[in-house]
Amino acid sequence: MKVPSITAPSNLNLEKKKKNAFLTAVQKYKLLYLMILPGLVYFIIFKYMPMGGLVIAFQDYQPFLGITGSPWVGFKHFIRLFTEPTFMMLLRNTLILFALNIVIFFPLPIIVALMLNELRNRHLKTWIQTIIYIPHFMSWVIIVSITYVFLTVDGGVINEMIASMGGQKISFLTSPEWLRTMYIGQIIWKEIGWSTIIYLAAITVVDPQLYEAAEMDGAARLRKTWHVTLPAIRPVIITLLILKIGSTLDLGFEHMYLLLNSLNREVAEIFDTYIYTAGLKNGQLSFSTTVGLFKGVVGLILVMASNKLAKKMGEDGVY
Amino acid sequence: MKKRWVSMLACVTVLSTLLSACGGDKEAAKNAAVADENAPLELTWLNILHTASPPTETIKSLLEEYTNTKITFNWVPDASKEERITTALASGELADIVTLTMMTNSSVRSSLKSGLFWDVGPYLDDYDNLSKIAPEIREAASIEGVLYGVPFQKNLARSGLIFRKDWLDKLGLPVPTTLDEVYEIARAFTEDDPDGNGVDDTTGFGDRSDLKYSSFKTLSSYFGTPNGWKVDENGKFTPEFDTQEYMDTMNFSRKLYENGYLAQDFAVTAKTDQQQQFAQGKTGIYTGMVDISSLRTLAQDLQEGLELVPVNKISNGDGQYRIWSEGSGVGGLMAFPKSEVKTEAELKRLLQFINDLIDEEAFMLMTGGIEGTHYEYDENGAYKVLNTELWQADVQPFSSSRPSEIAYTLKDANPEKQLANELIRENDKFAVLNPTVPLDSATNNEQGTELEKIITDATFKYIMGQSTEADFKKAVQTWKDSGGSKITEEYEAAYKLTQK
Repeated sequence: MKVPSITAPSNLNLEKKKKNAFLTAVQKYKLLYLMILPGLVYFIIFKYMPMGGLVIAFQDYQPFLGITGSPWVGFKHFIRLFTEPTFMMLLRNTLILFALNIVIFFPLPIIVALMLNELRNRHLKTWIQTIIYIPHFMSWVIIVSITYVFLTVDGGVINEMIASMGGQKISFLTSPEWLRTMYIGQIIWKEIGWSTIIYLAAITVVDPQLYEAAEMDGAARLRKTWHVTLPAIRPVIITLLILKIGSTLDLGFEHMYLLLNSLNREVAEIFDTYIYTAGLKNGQLSFSTTVGLFKGVVGLILVMASNKLAKKMGEDGVY
Repeated sequence: MKKRWVSMLACVTVLSTLLSACGGDKEAAKNAAVADENAPLELTWLNILHTASPPTETIKSLLEEYTNTKITFNWVPDASKEERITTALASGELADIVTLTMMTNSSVRSSLKSGLFWDVGPYLDDYDNLSKIAPEIREAASIEGVLYGVPFQKNLARSGLIFRKDWLDKLGLPVPTTLDEVYEIARAFTEDDPDGNGVDDTTGFGDRSDLKYSSFKTLSSYFGTPNGWKVDENGKFTPEFDTQEYMDTMNFSRKLYENGYLAQDFAVTAKTDQQQQFAQGKTGIYTGMVDISSLRTLAQDLQEGLELVPVNKISNGDGQYRIWSEGSGVGGLMAFPKSEVKTEAELKRLLQFINDLIDEEAFMLMTGGIEGTHYEYDENGAYKVLNTELWQADVQPFSSSRPSEIAYTLKDANPEKQLANELIRENDKFAVLNPTVPLDSATNNEQGTELEKIITDATFKYIMGQSTEADFKKAVQTWKDSGGSKITEEYEAAYKLTQK
């Protein structure tokens, strides 16, 4: 009988203490908390307040009438999205490209980072790093234009080479079957160097004693990489993988939009390009908001799921 | 005309010191219209920029003096006009005058219909230049009988082909008059080494990833395809791509493509690349007569002995000429949003401004610039640009903002350009109009642009030999099922109303 009477106040105390602890922390680190403020304000203004605009997904939004004046239509746009034949195409294309991103592109920077780590010549290492960073600073327009110049049938370098060797010219730019190869190739070219940065940074903090110990046990280079370096950067890999999955459906609007044409639309149209053409170009603001909302929700679910999975596997996850 | 110009120039010189001396009677006229307006009118103009960079101040300040205004331009590059204009409409961030060129774009149409802009129809007749806008043009620019802005007046049809005349002469081929001859030229330009360098490095037809402004639509006119829609005597509508003529055009292009007479990557080629290919002597046929002088400028120092010939009269063998008309002579609207232009007095002042821009003096400022600096008239009275670079920087951006391109005709000192200009005027005689220009269809406003993609994609695929006639017919059926049939019905209903 006494137990509840004791626990209740103690619980209250605990809460009070918690609150007090927070307040004292704020008081103690005033400056630090002040420093968060701009960031918080930024997120509220630019990330949370615009979310209010999502309500137009449930309206037939007319700019002239505004959110308050536009008629509410319930799930009309969602029904249209899920019943349109384009939906399956968009989902398929988006998921396939995403899978390529994860399966082909994601491991590459890790491999490159491990390889760079094995280089003993410091100068050569920095030189290679610099060279492979550079494409990251070029815009997609430039990357795609360079590809165009190389691959076009009308006098492109690659096709001229194929022709001079007696081969048949290949219309890379207009064939659906080349689109995915081109897409992933361009990403590798542009981003591989830049993505190694974090892995290289993670590798530098590996305790050298571990290597020494491994060496004592007779491990050769490959063994050391496999049993020391790789496990050491595992948390970083997992974290980055979760973050990557979070942006599943963000495959890079600009990149795809530049590659998209009438001939490869069936494999190249993804949610991002569809939102742009349907929403901004044709002015169907409500419908494209619906598509965007759907995309966001799927991304959120995937992040939460993969985070949970990571925790189950004994990793830290991202939150 | 020359005389008036001299006086104008004199005025301009005097103006810099004595502002009131010149605009005297102009201002008086304005004062009569709006009693309390003596100071220059400050106005903003959301306008489309067709050049790489906005114009310098030179012409703008002269225009301001002439019209007694203070203009702030908000330039939207032509390439990004779709998203910029639709976002401007959506966010309500407009200007006193908004240039709307994409009259078929769904969001433009829906905002026009939602009453965002003033109905200018009742006012036009109060202004001497605006009152001259032909009733057909007013009708074509209206939506359900309401004119939501002052129409840009253009020539009815501006399309045509440009051939390398020096290549034709070299191969002993005539300037074509039939489609068969065009095909033969495309073949010869590809296979018979027209540049005489002994290397197989030329393609007859250059083209780009655009069915409308590139060769396809022009060729389809030659085949007799209706422009947009065919209307029979019973008022039944058929979309152009559901006709035999459209199929014939596709087969023609497909044959060109298969044999390599058409640039192989045309479906991914941009306009600038297409022009470069022509200027570098890789292709010999170009669509779009208006570009003739820019092609020549581009080819300078690259192609020796380059000669060009614009051609507009090509028949499918029956001796009849046809050419599609864009917007029935309407290049878009200068619209006045009610959110910016609050009173009728303000609207009238802006209409006066546009009216003044059609005066010959303002027209010449926007076309040629300043006589003696940018252009001159030669001994034959032909117009000639003196300094192309200066003209491009100061004047060119304004030339596509002229409220009327047909108010005055200039004789061009460049014979090729002059010929192209004459042919464009001649096109008026056999222009094929799009019957849906003055009609409205709710479904088309909402989904039209997207549905069009189905047909565009299918057409490209067919031309490039990636699909069969059955596939194309299937695409047409998809178009119908996804809303096309509804569009057809709505147009038929709207058409019936206009016929009564």
